[in-house]
Amino acid sequence: MGKQTTGQPFATPASWRWISERGLRVATGEATLARYKSLISKNLRDVEDIIPADDSLLLVFRSAAEVPAEVRAALVEPLADLYGVVDGKRHEIVADYGGVAGPDLRALAKQAGMSEATYIEQHAATEYTVAFLGFQPGFPYLRGLPTALQTARRASPRQRVAPGSVAIGGIYTGIYPAGGPGGWHIIGRTNAVLFDPQRDPPALLMPGDRVHFVPA
Amino acid sequence: MIEILRPGLCDLVMDLGRPGRGALGVPAGGAADPAALAAANCLVGNDASAAGLEITLSGPRLQFPLGGVAALTGARFAASRSSGAPVAWNETLVLAAGEVLTLDRPEAGCRCWLALRGGLAVPQVMGSRSTFLPSGFGGHCGRPLQAGDILHCGTPAEDMRLLRASPPTGEADDCLRVVAGPQTGQFDDAGLAAFFGGAYRVAAASDRRGLRLTGALVSHYQAELSSQGVLPGAIQVPPDAQPIILGWDGPVTGGYPVIAGVIAADVPRLAQLKPGEAIRFVTIEVEAARALAALSWEIKELA
Repeated sequence: MGKQTTGQPFATPASWRWISERGLRVATGEATLARYKSLISKNLRDVEDIIPADDSLLLVFRSAAEVPAEVRAALVEPLADLYGVVDGKRHEIVADYGGVAGPDLRALAKQAGMSEATYIEQHAATEYTVAFLGFQPGFPYLRGLPTALQTARRASPRQRVAPGSVAIGGIYTGIYPAGGPGGWHIIGRTNAVLFDPQRDPPALLMPGDRVHFVPA
Repeated sequence: MIEILRPGLCDLVMDLGRPGRGALGVPAGGAADPAALAAANCLVGNDASAAGLEITLSGPRLQFPLGGVAALTGARFAASRSSGAPVAWNETLVLAAGEVLTLDRPEAGCRCWLALRGGLAVPQVMGSRSTFLPSGFGGHCGRPLQAGDILHCGTPAEDMRLLRASPPTGEADDCLRVVAGPQTGQFDDAGLAAFFGGAYRVAAASDRRGLRLTGALVSHYQAELSSQGVLPGAIQVPPDAQPIILGWDGPVTGGYPVIAGVIAADVPRLAQLKPGEAIRFVTIEVEAARALAALSWEIKELA
């Protein structure tokens, strides 16, 4: 296990621990995307996959083993540039807020002590950054949600959420690329195709990209 | 080629999956027991990575209009051939033109794999022919097979031989070996005791995304964490305190506390757990789990 560095400046080497025989969780804090890009650029042969998440990376090794020297060196290497490498594309996502498209908007606005119109205005006035993709292929975890709009996930998940649903979960806003069960609050819907396996890259929004919502 | 006369419950085209795309939110997926699919492929002269069918709980009726060479591995299903010839498991099967292969229900277990000589020639999507049902891509049109579907085969890698495979002799008990953590600290003593001492059953609402369990409630201090990368076999405990073992098509990140993870050697055993089945968990150290090398199949010429 590496030493604890959570909350330390980005230049500090990452700390890590095994969560299974092949899975190494690396605490990366603010430098998650910068560390991800640095590791990916090294084409580490023992590493099958690297999964970015909230302030951490999961390194998946091809076989069960100790941390190879090459990977150890890559993990402790100081990062030259934290922000330059994560300046992604800018996207405008047209969203239909409230009503059938956003069944939870009314309750969320009420809970936040504002009108639905103000809630929409605040949600759309913000520039979001894609922190990572997860839950479903192409599902973006968008950072930047105003504090007043943040709220815990639904107590019981919906059995089915419509594709394109714009949602609120904790400190994040996100968009469901595909239908299926979902535990976030649904405030709107977009026609944008978030994930198309035939496209390159298949995900419309990539980590580091910036997103603006535009009310329909 | 094969024609589906009657589909099974969920017949999916699978190969060894598409690892390496976690950053897109795409799990590796692929056959639930990759070694079993690889063995079936070997029996028909394919590369281990050729696409076959993963058959779950109730099997299809398939016609081979031009005949063909096939092999079945995994759980033994009640099965018959229109020729009256026996349907052996773990052996090369030669089917005559027009022959019909019917698979019914498993005698024990849950899933089997059918390999066809040349492999199923569905298009590759993101580097794999595996079906990913949650997003509806890969495999045959991104969905389970339906009556009337016709699937073609590619070119075999090896010359034709009649072979027999011996599956590894593994654990037959109801204990799944797990490594504790990474969030055992989020659970109170009662929750940990319930999980590590309790008996669970596989719930009906289980699929390749996850095995939902019913049994002792696993209470925790904190129901939500920041999202973290997860792998198949990770055991999450959502707010309802009933554990879920993440499956092959499960999400790549999760925000519920993870109490333990099924060891890599036992993840393929999850493929054979059907709804209602009883399981228990026994903890081992990560180092011990690493030493349990994946059990391997043995392949021999048929005498």
